Amino acid sequence: MADRIRQYVATKLAGADDLRLVDLEQIAVGWSHETWLFDAHWTVEGKARSQGFCLRRDPGNALLRDLSDLAVQFRVLQCLEPTAVPTPAPYWYEDDEAILGAPFLVMEKVPGTCPNPWGREGRRFYEDAARRGRLPASFTGALAALHGLDWETAGLSFLGVPGPGIDFALGEVAKWRAFIARTAHEPEPILTDLICWLEANAPPTERLVLVHGAYRTGNLLVHDDHVSAVLDWELQVIGDPMYDVAYVLSDLNREGTDLLSNLVDRDDFYRQYEAATGIEIDDDACRYYQLLYAMRSVAFWMSASDLYATGRSRDLRLARTRWSIPVVLERAARDLGY
Amino acid sequence: MSLPPSELLGRISTTMREEIGPVVTGDYQRTQAFMAAVVLDKLARQLALTAVHERAEAADRGQLFADLDGLLPAGGAPADVRAAVDEGLAGGGGDVVCRLIETLYHHRAELAEAFGPALGRVRAASRARVDRQMQYAT
Repeated sequence: MADRIRQYVATKLAGADDLRLVDLEQIAVGWSHETWLFDAHWTVEGKARSQGFCLRRDPGNALLRDLSDLAVQFRVLQCLEPTAVPTPAPYWYEDDEAILGAPFLVMEKVPGTCPNPWGREGRRFYEDAARRGRLPASFTGALAALHGLDWETAGLSFLGVPGPGIDFALGEVAKWRAFIARTAHEPEPILTDLICWLEANAPPTERLVLVHGAYRTGNLLVHDDHVSAVLDWELQVIGDPMYDVAYVLSDLNREGTDLLSNLVDRDDFYRQYEAATGIEIDDDACRYYQLLYAMRSVAFWMSASDLYATGRSRDLRLARTRWSIPVVLERAARDLGY
Repeated sequence: MSLPPSELLGRISTTMREEIGPVVTGDYQRTQAFMAAVVLDKLARQLALTAVHERAEAADRGQLFADLDGLLPAGGAPADVRAAVDEGLAGGGGDVVCRLIETLYHHRAELAEAFGPALGRVRAASRARVDRQMQYAT
């Protein structure tokens, strides 16, 4: 793979001599698109140049592959590049499978780290950052920038624009219902109840923003105590800002702490988000969207365990997710008032 | 006397976790070995409980549809709600419960005051089902 990537990059760097790729590493395995990081060093007319790159390749069996292809991700990054939302600059997208065996995109390797909030080291990292205070403010500020974006001017209408009222919420329920229907799992009464409840109680959307869909630590690159890039553009939609806020507020995105996403004080988040966006957080809508996230989680786990059961993946982490389904449903049952 | 399959799987899980996993090199491969132990353990527990759970599930479902028969307005329930209950009374499986839930929501306006108690009764049975699943899922 290293040789093929080097040959490809050589075709994109006009006039480059002595191209070398160093520190090439694959950092994600199995769940989503493959991610490769590397630094390129070359010379142009005798002058040394270097640049960090991040390459994402479609392995053909990625979780959510049906909902998120790399062409869409690339286009979203192109739209966001000139905006205040911190994102990696997109360089090239290729759907010619002859190049690397599958479609791929290449983007900027943004400085920073992405500590895993579920691991011991990651939890300590965010705990220390919370004490210093700059990263929590940056976390909220980046979300506010995202929700304050003029998505029409940015060219993001191609993502699909919901109609007024409850169209957005019903559209999301329908999307995940269809996703679940494509799996081979037997019907689950609590899931059916959850879906029917979501359809019967969809909240109207007051305003439309660009929703990231999975805004939390672990999907954000951190550098020098600030968010250097918002990553994982796989679930974005034009929709209700409370969809993202509910995800931030979710208990599922923190562990062993009251801090949202293991990082942000709840009261500070409310105050800073509302001040920066002018959007009042609607707790009822957030409760609704948290139940929608439960449905989405079940869809993830059903799809993931199917990938293993049908032989499309040999990653046992996916096989294990089959037993995550009742755990999510049990929690949803409690939230529904069972 | 041969070892029941569930116990055998449990022992293989222990071997995988304690003997094989620790000496596997490579982060990804070690994670896979650990996951194999986790999956085998859950399978073992699920297998050990399958017969008991299937009996409980069938009994709960029978009682659910019998109770719903009494909870729904006599002669006044919407036709597809009635059909789902009748199918359940005739021994239908878990898919009938899901279909019933959908028909209850679909006709909730017509069902009026009967909707809450009927859905509540279905939820009690669903609660018992997920509680059983949690015995091996966690």
